[in-house]
Formats: sequence, C-alpha cells, structure tokens
Amino acid sequence: MADGYTGKVLRVDLTSEKIATEPINREWAKRFIGGKGLGARYLFEELKPGVDPLSSDNVLMIWTGPLVGTMVPLTSRYVVITKSPQTGTFLDSYAGGYFGPELKYAGFDGVIIKGKASKPVYLWIKDGKPEIRDAKNLWGKDNFKTEALIRKETGESHARVASTGPAGEKLSLIAGVTSDLTRNAGRGGGGAVFGSKNLKAIACRGTMGVEVPNIDEFVKMSKEMLLKDVVENPDHAGSITDGTPIIVDMSQNAAILPTRDWSSGEFEGSAEINSDAIKTRVLVRRKACMGCGLACGSWSKARKGMFKGASTEGPEYETIGLSGSNCGIKSIEAIIKFAEECDKLGLDTMSAGSVTAFAMDLYERKILTKKDTGGLDLKFGNEEAFAKMPAMIASREHIGDALADGSKRAARKIGKGAEKLVIESKGSEYPAYDPRGSIGMALAYATSDRGADHNRAWPVAQDAYGSGDPWNPDGKAAICVEDNTRTSVKWSFIFCDFYAVSFKNMAKYYTAVTGAPADEESLRSIGKRVWNLTRAFNAREGFTRKDDNLPERMEKEPLQSGKTKGKAVPRADFEKMLSEYYKLWNWDDQGRPTKQTLQEAGLGDIVGKLPYLK
Amino acid sequence: MSKGLKAEKEKCTGCQLCMLVCSGTHVSKFNPSESRINVEDKFPEPGEFKLNYCLQCDEHPCVESCPVEAIVFDEGLGIYVVDKEKCTACGACVEACPYEGCWLDPSGTYSIKCDLCGGTPQCVEICPKGVLKR
Repeated sequence: MADGYTGKVLRVDLTSEKIATEPINREWAKRFIGGKGLGARYLFEELKPGVDPLSSDNVLMIWTGPLVGTMVPLTSRYVVITKSPQTGTFLDSYAGGYFGPELKYAGFDGVIIKGKASKPVYLWIKDGKPEIRDAKNLWGKDNFKTEALIRKETGESHARVASTGPAGEKLSLIAGVTSDLTRNAGRGGGGAVFGSKNLKAIACRGTMGVEVPNIDEFVKMSKEMLLKDVVENPDHAGSITDGTPIIVDMSQNAAILPTRDWSSGEFEGSAEINSDAIKTRVLVRRKACMGCGLACGSWSKARKGMFKGASTEGPEYETIGLSGSNCGIKSIEAIIKFAEECDKLGLDTMSAGSVTAFAMDLYERKILTKKDTGGLDLKFGNEEAFAKMPAMIASREHIGDALADGSKRAARKIGKGAEKLVIESKGSEYPAYDPRGSIGMALAYATSDRGADHNRAWPVAQDAYGSGDPWNPDGKAAICVEDNTRTSVKWSFIFCDFYAVSFKNMAKYYTAVTGAPADEESLRSIGKRVWNLTRAFNAREGFTRKDDNLPERMEKEPLQSGKTKGKAVPRADFEKMLSEYYKLWNWDDQGRPTKQTLQEAGLGDIVGKLPYLK
Repeated sequence: MSKGLKAEKEKCTGCQLCMLVCSGTHVSKFNPSESRINVEDKFPEPGEFKLNYCLQCDEHPCVESCPVEAIVFDEGLGIYVVDKEKCTACGACVEACPYEGCWLDPSGTYSIKCDLCGGTPQCVEICPKGVLKR
C-alpha cells in the first residue's frame, strides 16, 4: 500500500532474543496517525501500569509517521516513547536529523522493544532485516565513537545510529537518546531506559524508500509548500536567519531569562551568549535536518580561549538559557563545550544545565562544599568548573551521582533545605521561560504530559513575546488547551516544532500521503484524542491534581529587576488556571479524563482499563 | 565547457531535498539511495557537506571504460547519460570516474548518474539555499 507508511513494525524481546516483524495496526494508524498518538496507543496497550521504568518490564519504542522520509518539509523526525524513569509519566521525546527517515527506508514505521538483554547489545536493521548484535566493544563509548564504530563494524558508512552514551549506561535519569551526533531525544531519561535494557543503540540503513499514492502530484505539492508555506512564510524568518538563539534577546527583554538558578530574569552577560555572539564568534555553517528548507541549526566552533576546538550544532536557546545564563556563564564558547560534552556523554542539555545551575546555587549557599564537588569551585560563572560537570554527572562521581538523577531526586538526597529550591514539575526541570514573567507557562509546565515542558503549550508567545498580559491568568487555560490539541497532531505526523503549519495544511498533507480524506475538524478530533490518551495514561499511573505542581519559589520568591521586578506566580491564580483548564478539557476535579470525555474523544476502548473510573 | 550541474557547496545545509526530489522523479518513491546526486554529512570533522554528482566532464572516462557502450551521448542535452537497458552494472564507470560522479543503484542492477532531468534539473529548482545551478 503506497500511503507513506511502510506498514511494518519491528518487535524485539531482548530477554529471549526473539525478533518478529508484524503489520502496523491499521485501525490505530487511522485514529492516531503515527508518532506521539500511535506510540501512545501502543504503550497504553502494552505496558502494565505501575511498572518500574528501569525494569525489564518497561516498553521502549521508536516511532515515525506517514510523512517521515517523504519530501514534505520539516517531518524528518522520530520519537522515543516509553514510561519516563525521571517523571514516571508517559514520555515522548523527539529528534530530527536523519535517523527517522532511515528507519523507514530500512522498512519500519516503528520498533517495540521489551525485556532486557543479558549483556550489552545493539539492534541493527538493514533493509527489512533486523539483528541483535553484540555491543561489548561499544559499551562505555561516547555517542560519537559509537556511531563511528557501528559504521565500521557493519561496513555501512551511511548507517544512522540512535544511541545511549555513558550517562544512560549508568542509568542517569537525565540521559537522552542521541542520533546524528547532535540530535537528541533529550528529555525524560530515554537514554536510561536504553541502558537498563543493556541496549547500546539502534542502528539502521535502508534503501527501500517510502511510497505515496500519487508521486507526481506529491512532488509538485511538496515543492509548492516548501516555497510558499515554509521558506516564504514570515513566521519562519527567525528560524532562517538565526534559529532558536534569537529567543535569548526576547527573553532578556521580557526579563524571563533564567539566570543564576532562577534568581533573576535578566542576565548582564546576555550579549555574550545570544544569537549575535554565535553569528560573529563561532558560527561555521548553517545546518538542516533532512528535508528542511529552513536550516535553523548552527554548526559552531570555539575559535579561541580554553575551549578552543570544541564544536556543536547550536547551541540552541534551551541550552543557552539553562546552561548559560542560569549558570551565570558569559561565554558562548563555554556553552559549546558543555553541549559537546552532553552530546558525547548522552545527557539532555536542558536538564544537565539545570542540575548544574542547581548545584552552583547549593554551593553558593554552602549546602554543598568542595568535598561534594570533587574540589571544584562550583561558583556561578566559573567556566572551567562548569565544563567539567557533564563528565561528573555522566560518571556519577562526587555530587554527580545525585545530580544524575535530576534535581528533584538530588535535592531529596542532599537535604538541608535543598528540596524547597528545586524548579521542576513532575521531576522534570523547567524549560527556559520564567513563569513569573509569563504566568501561562506555569500552567503549561504543570499540565504537560511528560513533566515540565514547553512543547505541549507555549503561551509565552502570546504574552511576554506578544501583546498579551503576562500576569493575567484569564484565558491562559484556553491557550494551553488549543496548543495541546495542535501539538498533539503535529507530534503525531511528526512535524518539527519550527514549522508553523496550519490545521488546513496538515490535512492537505495527510490526504496527499495516505489518500484518505481529512480536514481541520478531523485532525482536531485526533489531537483531542491523543491528549486525552496521554492524560489517561498518567491517570492510570496514579497522577492527580497534586502532581500538576507549581514550584514553591515561583510563588514565594518574586523576581528583582526589569519588567518582572516584584513579580511571582500567585498560588490563587495558578489554581484558578488549573481548574479552568480541567474544565475546558471536561476532566474531573483531579484532572482525570471522565468516561464521557473519553468516549467523546473516540477512546471508549480504554475506559475499562482505567481503575479510577471503576 | 562542462554542461553538468554546478554547486556552491559552502552554502549547502545538508537538507537532502535534492536527493528526495531526484529519487521521487526518477524512481517514483522517496529513496535517497537511488538519487543521482549524493550529499554526505561529514561531522564533527571536517564539519562540511560533501556533494557528489556527474560533472559531465570533458574527458568522460566513464564512457571510455564502459565495455557495452551503455553511456551514450544525448544529442538534445549535449551530455552523456546511462542507457539503463544496455548497462550490465559491471561497475567499470564507477571505478573510472575520478569525481565519484556515478554509482550503482542499491539493487546493483545499473549505474546511476545525473541526466539533468531531461533539461530541467529538479534539484536545482528545489534547493532552498541556491546551492545548485545548471
């Protein structure tokens, strides 16, 4: 069937070393598209509730979507789906680059992995033929070396590799999955799930291609859309000229740039770490993911100073905010070094930056001392100490052992009041938009299905970066509901975050690739279905209103300068937004989808599997 | 003078849209490994993209190397193209080309190289960064 899907799913049991190819569940593909939605449906079905995410019972999946590997721009993505060991929630973590398309060219829409290998292995897929291979020589190697070694061993110089680094092998809960060196399914600890299964990598090489119903029409449409809806779309201008680092100045101006562990929203060194700093000091060339006309990535290299020679793609805004300003680092070169280390070791730069900032804060407060830091003078802004932190975390040495489990668990371990200082929701460190200058972000973080996150709702675009009132809680719930619905559809195709694609155009793509009809309404229904499904997954795991949390400091510690001077997130406003949000979704007062809501969302088949509904 | 594609490879961002449109047009599916142009990402070192395609060079050693005369002159375009029917996939042209401008298709049944899409190269049309020129 030429409908964008390969039609095949690879199922691997690492315990018994059994591998099987099965047809994709066509009925689910119609109801959930692919990526987030389809993966969530499979995970809901295949994972027993209450499972320890790092046990052999957890299910680890990779999914693509029908558009992945075609010419439709900004869809060359894959998603890692599993139960997060960091948050205990549903986890969907995405990466661009080239791996997703390659998996499809190798014959599979998705991979479902269960069990645990008795010794380190990797999964090798070549043109529909899967194989579990020994990874003894890869264990302990960083992601860059792993890719090179797998290419050498398989004799396939074009092989694409998604691997876990040393951090994931040591079960760091902030370890991601890395592909194409610098592309990371970073959030939520997917790398630790790889490690817990003794799975070093999934590698593939495919020459089978992806087929669509009417190739000539499809090529024509894709060319038109690339020009009119992507390259010439004014919403994409910043992605073409700068990429995400353009946001540094926007956040600085709005005084919501996390600085020195969230103690300020303005950073006096922002000009040293913004997009201009990248363009004038370190940029080598612009870099794109497969099929993208924007090329928002910046391949950058430190040209002088103590980090001379370090290179990375980016650094991206989240990395700059959380490991730069939030650590008091005034050097783009130091951030490049930090990002390069994280990519090699397999750490999420967002969480690694956040836990480093947190450790610096605790060091300055004398809760941590040089005894804990292995002798490092871990003051805010100490570039040399800062650049050593990824290695300390990945190897679990000194305080790195606690930090490797994320700031919430680290704080519990450290004690001495550290617990009250953590900035997280459901154990996931906050992204780089301070809600004290964009109150809707507090709601977005609290209600994200994978823990604090900016890619499920992004109200900051409409207030701190737009014309709305950043402190008025009214209407923020509606923005989050709309964003949840839209992103659930986008992540099911899987489109890139940076494609400002309308429902109308997503429907156009859907019809072109599958041959089946679609419109804005049908896609909105899918979006609502997917968001209710992941919420139901979390509710089945026992998550309730109390878990949709606001960190204490956001409420009690007002910011000190600029536009956010004296601003905090009033508890009453937060609770008001949360209640309104549940109401808009037609969930119960604990934030759980009701039977009626699930039925209306086309999820009647899961009602019987939710204990809280009995 | 060479009649092949021209590329300013410094501008290339590695999006591979050229490979996608090439395979879509030539083999009716999206399959970069069947593209007549190849872009390879070479990172972290030297940190650049390598572009391979037939330059339509004046010396055309591929033509001389072919034992079955499968690389024929297209009068209309003024370039050498592979006659798929005649080609035995012996690989002599791949060996002979000093520019890595042709290669065997993944099934190993014939040699593939740029044919300028009959005069309107699709990769030139689609390249979002203006890397490729006719």
